[in-house]
Amino acid sequence: MDAVKRRSFLKTSASAAAVGALQTTPLGAQESAAPAATVIVVHGTDIPKMLAAGIAKLGGWSAFIKSGMKVAIKPNVAWNSKPEQGGNTHPDLVRACVLAAEAQGAAKITLPENTCHPEKSTFQASGVADALKGTQGRLYRPAKEDYQKVEIPKGKIAKSSGVPKDILECDCLINMPVAKHHSGATLTLSMKNWMGSIANEDRRAWHRDGLHQCIADFSTFIRPKLVIIDATRIMLNKGPQGPGDLEHPHELILSTDPVAADAYAATLFKKAPFDIGYIKLAHEMGVGCGDLAKIKVERIEA
Amino acid sequence: MFTRRNLVRLILFALFALLALGVLPEAWRRWSVLLPGLSPLLSLGGALAARHAGLLAVLGLPLLLLPLFKGRFFCWRLCPMGFAAEMASRINRRHTGLIRRLPFVGKGLALLIIGSAAVGWPVLVWTDPLCIFNGFFAAWRTPLTWASAATAGGFVLILLASLLAPNIWCHRLCPLGGLQEWLTQLGNRLRAARGTTAAAATPDSTLAHAHAGRRLFLGFALGGVTGAIYRRFGLRAATAQARETPDGDHEQGRGRQRRHGARRPQPAPVRPPGAAGQAFNALCARCGNCMRACPYGLIMPDLGTSGIDGLFTPVLAFRSRNPQQEAFCFQDCTACTQVCPTGALRPLTVAQKQQTAIGLAHVCRKKCIAWEKHEYCVVCQEYCPYHAIIEVEQNGVMCPIVDAEKCRGCGACESQCPAEPIAITISGRAPQPVLAHPSPQLPD
Repeated sequence: MDAVKRRSFLKTSASAAAVGALQTTPLGAQESAAPAATVIVVHGTDIPKMLAAGIAKLGGWSAFIKSGMKVAIKPNVAWNSKPEQGGNTHPDLVRACVLAAEAQGAAKITLPENTCHPEKSTFQASGVADALKGTQGRLYRPAKEDYQKVEIPKGKIAKSSGVPKDILECDCLINMPVAKHHSGATLTLSMKNWMGSIANEDRRAWHRDGLHQCIADFSTFIRPKLVIIDATRIMLNKGPQGPGDLEHPHELILSTDPVAADAYAATLFKKAPFDIGYIKLAHEMGVGCGDLAKIKVERIEA
Repeated sequence: MFTRRNLVRLILFALFALLALGVLPEAWRRWSVLLPGLSPLLSLGGALAARHAGLLAVLGLPLLLLPLFKGRFFCWRLCPMGFAAEMASRINRRHTGLIRRLPFVGKGLALLIIGSAAVGWPVLVWTDPLCIFNGFFAAWRTPLTWASAATAGGFVLILLASLLAPNIWCHRLCPLGGLQEWLTQLGNRLRAARGTTAAAATPDSTLAHAHAGRRLFLGFALGGVTGAIYRRFGLRAATAQARETPDGDHEQGRGRQRRHGARRPQPAPVRPPGAAGQAFNALCARCGNCMRACPYGLIMPDLGTSGIDGLFTPVLAFRSRNPQQEAFCFQDCTACTQVCPTGALRPLTVAQKQQTAIGLAHVCRKKCIAWEKHEYCVVCQEYCPYHAIIEVEQNGVMCPIVDAEKCRGCGACESQCPAEPIAITISGRAPQPVLAHPSPQLPD
């Protein structure tokens, strides 16, 4: 019953926007062939302009945010590290996205972030606190009571997790990581970024029980409408905290498929996507498509 | 009772209590050093003992000079502890004469403190009233354990004693009062020598001066000897503890050595950054300023891990000692080093703090997820601000080893180690070495 509904829905929306269809595809569906995915790669130096160009390619902001929606953005602002060091999502990107959500008439814009360093210094050093001044975006570190325990029905190891309520209750969830080296998980990309949301005890449990599988498990549950990976500069080693050696691809990676976005981003580090445990597992669990051969990469200049 | 004098004292009491409580905005908090610093026993005594006169020592000067001219003006007009003791004393009107037969213990105490400070190992500094007053308010900022309650105990004890034997504190026991009593006498003597007092050269007063001189000498000498004895035992304990502290990653050999029933030594306590080396227990007045200053609530009163003379001194309780704690000694923070009245903690800049190793991490491989269970982890490496965790590949995963030349003992690794029980823990270093390796985190 459910499947039929989905198929008919796919048919009707296919003519409208292929991308929109992808985003509503229930991702655990094992019986269907792996969905082909589209990744938009924007090259440039002006971050707000790059974001605007990328979003235009995906059908414009109205495809994601409508007036009155609650928007939650998950940047990576975990470390006491400066924007040019590449440890955190670039403040210009966070600001541009919040301003766009404001322009769309979002009712509430929250950016919950469970920082690794003390939040005050982290938000300040990362430049994100300053970037959000004068906007409606509320960057904060969730306290214990801001979390809610949720079940992860398709999780193989991670069966439940504490997730900030603002992320659970929003109408539009945007995942906005920075691409960088990670000592434990090889690379921090979009799926790994959710570890910056969940409660500390779950973070520790994931490491204990099998990091890559838990990241993939959680990805079966959390459904960002949009993934924007900041690859304007990427940290090649000493991650996730840095400071490490940097490279500057000057790219933003946009997709509605987190696995596809991660798969492309892995290539920036000269890695095969399936060499990253959680990309392979998430692909196998049907979260999205991590097979580069089936991903359509559209490059634009901005 | 409600005189203008008491109103001023009440206002001062409230002001000092506010400072001591640490409820003021963060920019104001470092002024909590003001109250205990006013006591020359703490600030000047500390500088004398630590052989290190910082700007703080200046704080003690007013109370060293004031009694020369004004007697115990501070005690009767300004001191918040004295105000509280006096108010408590007023409740019991029946036993006001009780203390008459008691000698002024505080005068001896003051000499003992100064004498031992001259040797570098001061004793009984924690009897200072301003420090006791401060310690009482410290208790409300740390989680209520019996250790924190004990630091508050001094204040309560003084009030109780004042109830039972009115005025016993200010007139008989207080070392700061004792010091001022000495200085008052000195002032009188100086004035007498200049002939401003008529009764300058009666035989009685000459005899009294001779007595005073002998007592002064005896008091200082006793203090010096006590300090020297304390140093002897203190140094021995400190070296014994240093021998137990492993250097860096050590797992293989040591486990075997200790196999047969040998008691596992407790890891050395981690002191706040800037801590004086072996004489720390002697120098620390237990005023609680550092505990309140720490924005992360890491610093706790010690309960015996640093010996009996280290009771209630500040130690950093990372997650293995305090399961609720998920913070570590953050690399950009120097709050605790700025508020110590005695110089037991020296003020550090951020750059100095980042070069100072307060402790050393070590990995217990049997507990480590990567070493033992071959899981992807190295969270310790993730969190280490100093790149002090070396990764080695073993069974296809990266495993942590501590680089003793880079580890500052900040506890970032311990704060998030997912192993149960925690596989990477910090043991303290005393004296705290200044590392040659530059900090990758240094602000430019």
